[in-house]
Amino acid sequence: MDKFTQTFAPLKLGQVHDLAAARAAEGWRYVQILAVNTEEGIDLVYSYMKDGHLENFTVKAVQKTDVVPSITDVFLEAFVCENEIHDLYDVAIANIAIDFGGMFYQLSSKAPMTVVSPEQLAAREKAKKIAAAKAAKEAAAAQKAAEPAASASAPTGPTEEEIQAKIAGLDPEKAAKVRAAMEAKAKKAAAAAASAPSPAPAATGPTEEEIQAKIAGLDPEKAAKVRAALEAKAKRAQQSAEGKGE
Amino acid sequence: MGSFKLGGMTLGSLFKKPETLLYPFETKPAPAGLKGHIAIDAADCILCGICAKTCPADAIVVEKKDRTWSIDPFRCVQCGSCVRACPKACLSMDPAYTPVATAQSCRVVEVPDPKAAATTPVSAAETETLTES
Amino acid sequence: MGKATVIPFGPQHPVLPEPLHLDLVVQDETVVDVLPQIGFVHRGLEKLVETRDYNQFIYIAERICGICATGHSVGYAETVEELMGVEVPKRAEYLRVIWHELSRVHSHLLWLGLAADAFGFESMFMHCWRLRERVLDIFEKTTGGRVILSVVKVGGVVRDIDATQMAEIIATLEGIKDDYTKIMNTLLTDTSVKNRTVGVGYLSAEDAAALSMVGPFARASNLPYDVRSFGRGAYGDLVDFQPIVATEGDCYARVKVRCLEVLQSFDIIKELAAKMPAGPIEVAVKGTPAEGAEASNVLEQPRGECYYYARGNGTKNLERMRIRTPTSQNLAGMTVALKGCDLADVNMIILTIDPCISCTER
Repeated sequence: MDKFTQTFAPLKLGQVHDLAAARAAEGWRYVQILAVNTEEGIDLVYSYMKDGHLENFTVKAVQKTDVVPSITDVFLEAFVCENEIHDLYDVAIANIAIDFGGMFYQLSSKAPMTVVSPEQLAAREKAKKIAAAKAAKEAAAAQKAAEPAASASAPTGPTEEEIQAKIAGLDPEKAAKVRAAMEAKAKKAAAAAASAPSPAPAATGPTEEEIQAKIAGLDPEKAAKVRAALEAKAKRAQQSAEGKGE
Repeated sequence: MGSFKLGGMTLGSLFKKPETLLYPFETKPAPAGLKGHIAIDAADCILCGICAKTCPADAIVVEKKDRTWSIDPFRCVQCGSCVRACPKACLSMDPAYTPVATAQSCRVVEVPDPKAAATTPVSAAETETLTES
Repeated sequence: MGKATVIPFGPQHPVLPEPLHLDLVVQDETVVDVLPQIGFVHRGLEKLVETRDYNQFIYIAERICGICATGHSVGYAETVEELMGVEVPKRAEYLRVIWHELSRVHSHLLWLGLAADAFGFESMFMHCWRLRERVLDIFEKTTGGRVILSVVKVGGVVRDIDATQMAEIIATLEGIKDDYTKIMNTLLTDTSVKNRTVGVGYLSAEDAAALSMVGPFARASNLPYDVRSFGRGAYGDLVDFQPIVATEGDCYARVKVRCLEVLQSFDIIKELAAKMPAGPIEVAVKGTPAEGAEASNVLEQPRGECYYYARGNGTKNLERMRIRTPTSQNLAGMTVALKGCDLADVNMIILTIDPCISCTER
């Protein structure tokens, strides 16, 4: 019983036909050809199989000006995939044995698989920004870890760059909220650092600015609730401080 | 003989019960688990919108401000993803097909506000007992 | 020597399950050349990966074709699992194979009915589809759907078959088998059937290999290629799996291969039902496919080997999902088999590749 294995290997455009001829001579089966639309061009993947070994060869970034040689003189059944790729991706393939000349699928628009809709472009931009922000954050964290822990003093809270990195990919409303929250955090940390030497009761409860920061972006109902909760917290902290002081 | 091999089967089927049902006079009982239509238990819904995001056919629309959950049964493909995705398990798949209609329509369900329900009925009960006594 | 006439065949034809157009160049009732044309049901389903994430796309993959729906959902799920490195529990693999083999039974029964109808044997068509209804009832009881099951997901399956249901399935299959053997014997020994199929549409083993044909069509021309013999998933637990091969290479051989494959599927289901392991039926799939990750997969659909390819781009949507179906591979072989045949045999030869054009075009 053969075992199924699969491999992926790169392939140059000029070698496509030689590879097909070599495979046919050794008794390999043709499996399929597929195309992938990428930013650099069209990737073509040729697949051959023998005795359970499935080999996929990728030709990267075929440009609009490149002409791909057809393998239908070796494998006639490839005409279906080659015509399809020509119709859907507008890849020029020369000498297809049964060439439909762009009328294989009779589509209403030209090369529809290469068309990227505006929503798709927006989604891809967003994904890229998030990935870039993540990379920046990881780089900053790595840098911080590399620095000797000399500044063992109280954490200074998120810096301006970190705030920027975090809100890079978010939409404006959320960005404003996050910014407010982080600035409040920074302020709190600064206040804590300032009051660190004096052994004052740390639990002073949230200050008015912090309350404002928290409810900056919430809708009125929730804002009122949060405010009430924070004020209750402040009262409790005050009472406990007074109790301690007594 | 090389032909009419189905003779035995054909003759036999003259006397056997027919394989088909005399629909619409007889109907087959729907088996449990048949994927018919989506039903919602509105009291448990928290209007999170996860079902709308999971739906591959964009059949569910959740309006948080209006407190409505609506489904277009003609867009629904009865895949059951919303039933599995709901965090409160308030969606279920009922074994009855959406009946044939002359026009497409959406089913809109009002999700009751749990806070509103908590405050009002108590006073009503109190006044009732007061008048009784 | 007569003049050559071009006769259009299809796209609408009573024997064809899906639209396919052929330009038959005919000389005195003999077909000399064939030009196939497809594209009537191209829906652009592969482009929908851009708007549906990898969990939602399985429902689109299922609806590529009504006859091979289960196969596409299993193949797609396996490919994405390979892409993300997810290992599916054993019980889920068994359940998938049982549903896939039942799907093979229903597909072959459908095809046998159409093949009989192709040369006018309508009562056989009715009997085959009557038995197929019992298989669809099994689907309805276990999955809730008759044709589109929606029971496979990335990470496992959605429903379980408990012991009582399994016993019921086996009992129903035994009932189907009794009736089916009678039908099969009729098809394979009746003189009229033999007159219409023996020696018709001959394709030699060398031609079949050169044209890389797949599925029962290739196996009827002595090419023993069957993806199930690689022993992946639950197929590896079968005691002995041998692809069914016939040597005659004509329509009769193809009918015989498909008839015997139905019996083989019955045996596979019975064997796997007895060996079914206990355990979970799904595993949670977290995260998204990595950027630039690729995976390919092959699956034995009722019509032959189906190739799946997936590429990820770091988001919930796949970058590319490609499904190459067996019929698109067999189209070239069909044109070669049609050359030199009688005009009256064109129906039968086209049907014996089991054309599933919806799959070919997506």
